[in-house]
Amino acid sequence: MLAPVSLRRKAYAGRKRVKKRYLGYVRRMATHFSLPSKLSPKAPGRSLERPPRSIVCQLLLLSICVLMLHSCAVGRQFLETLPFLGQPPDSIEKNYFLVDKDESVIGRLASIRLGRSDTLPDIARHFSLGINTLSAANPGVDVWVPRDGAHVVLPLSFVLPEAPKEGIVINLAAMRLFYYKRNGDLQAVSTFPVGVGTEERPTPMGRMYIARKKWRPTWYVPASIAADHRKKGDPLPASVPPGPLNPLGEHALYLSEPGYLVHGTNKPASVGLRATNGCIRLYPEDIKRLFDTTPVKTPVKIVNQPYLIGRREGEVYLEVHTPYEGSGSAALKKAYAKLKKIEKQTGDVLDWEKIKKVVAEARGIPIAVSATGPGGKTDGVETIRLRHPAKLYGQPQVPKFRTDAWYVLAADFRDAVDARRLAAIINHQGPQIPARVLSISDKHRVLAGPFNSKGEAKAAAKRMRIDLEIDGIVVAPVEQG
Amino acid sequence: MMKKGRLMVSMMLALAFAVGGCATKSDLKEAQARDMAISAKADQAAQDAQAAKAAADEALMKANEATARAEAAEKRAEERERIAAEKERIAEEKAKQAEAIFQKSMKK
Repeated sequence: MLAPVSLRRKAYAGRKRVKKRYLGYVRRMATHFSLPSKLSPKAPGRSLERPPRSIVCQLLLLSICVLMLHSCAVGRQFLETLPFLGQPPDSIEKNYFLVDKDESVIGRLASIRLGRSDTLPDIARHFSLGINTLSAANPGVDVWVPRDGAHVVLPLSFVLPEAPKEGIVINLAAMRLFYYKRNGDLQAVSTFPVGVGTEERPTPMGRMYIARKKWRPTWYVPASIAADHRKKGDPLPASVPPGPLNPLGEHALYLSEPGYLVHGTNKPASVGLRATNGCIRLYPEDIKRLFDTTPVKTPVKIVNQPYLIGRREGEVYLEVHTPYEGSGSAALKKAYAKLKKIEKQTGDVLDWEKIKKVVAEARGIPIAVSATGPGGKTDGVETIRLRHPAKLYGQPQVPKFRTDAWYVLAADFRDAVDARRLAAIINHQGPQIPARVLSISDKHRVLAGPFNSKGEAKAAAKRMRIDLEIDGIVVAPVEQG
Repeated sequence: MMKKGRLMVSMMLALAFAVGGCATKSDLKEAQARDMAISAKADQAAQDAQAAKAAADEALMKANEATARAEAAEKRAEERERIAAEKERIAEEKAKQAEAIFQKSMKK
């Protein structure tokens, strides 16, 4: 809807005033630095004169501002969002792609510079990646305490698994779900990272379908999980109603394989881990999108494909993941045979040394392995540089210290990095237990809190003991309210 | 006559031998001077040799000291490297332990 004429006139006048002021400033600068500018036709060059004090002051002030901004955390965060530091963070597609009939590689790789308080799980969630793929793509980067300012690769390019492009396909090795749909004449795919079953309780493979859907499901605790919790001294009720303590989250798609679900989670940091009892876990925001668009009876195929071979723009790509089950030697043999077949059939020459390297590194990102062509001989991974988002989606927020609150002293450390790691791990529990580091000289204390009551603090200490094996000490408020 | 003649010749010969066999005073002085010079030369050579040996010993000592210092420095560097590697290993171990506990905590 358009604004009234008077308002639009006012806005136009305002813009004109700003433009006039800006042009005046540019003219003054051009004259001062004797630039051959069209904006200063009448002004002769004055390069030999001393610059006017006002301009020097302005430049000085600007430099001081930039320095101050860089030295403070908030300022740095602001500077990171400036346009010349990369493309906007939301300019890259994370979940939805159109699939060309003859191509099987989608998306683009990106990179981002880490901020001071970032952890890899925070970056992973913001860009809809699993922690497994983000870690594999960035070997040597500490998951919880990465170096401030380090650049990390965002593996937002994927080779589609070898399966019919219909319904849901889940690749356990890549820990990724693909949901194929028609978009008019085009084939489209939505893709999300997932958490999968542990070694003891693996996710079943094969063909199945969505049997039913449930918003705000109740979790009926399976006997095996109830027994595990009893052993830990944390008996569970027979069922957990919807809410923050329900591990299914807010949405559940029940598979035709009894007892297995595709669901949300109250532990978002577990996406990209083998932490479920065979279910498929998605970020809360991802399961909502999948839930809304997936009808009952949608076919589901669960596969384990650690070696993915794809083609894009004539290039052959190889994406390697750690196998979900076993050594994966049979799958590797198959992949080599497929690559040799491609070489024979198409006449494309492949770089076998590079293939060996890609297999050994298993970074989970599609790498061009053609010996010729644009990316054929380059070892480096080309990425689109993104600016740091002003706020990372879902990043746990930690309230400031309060003297009137209860805390739980989790641990004392001499090493600041150890303290920061533990605080980050506590912060990423589901539901979150807020925690921060209190550093005094060379002593670094991890305190969980603030809590409004002794009961809350005790409950948090109990969770920390059961889930993280930490014997916390409840700390009373400095000043009682 | 013949006998006298022979005796004469013999005496003359003996005298000649006697005169030829004994050295003059100047010969003696010359010999002494030569001996002195040689002795001095020998002394000098001995001194030089001693000095050279001392210098060699000193050089050897210095070389040994330098080697010892280098060895000590290498040992210190190795120790530092070992400590750094140990620290790194401990840090990695700690990070792994923390990660394992975290992953366990992510189960239902």
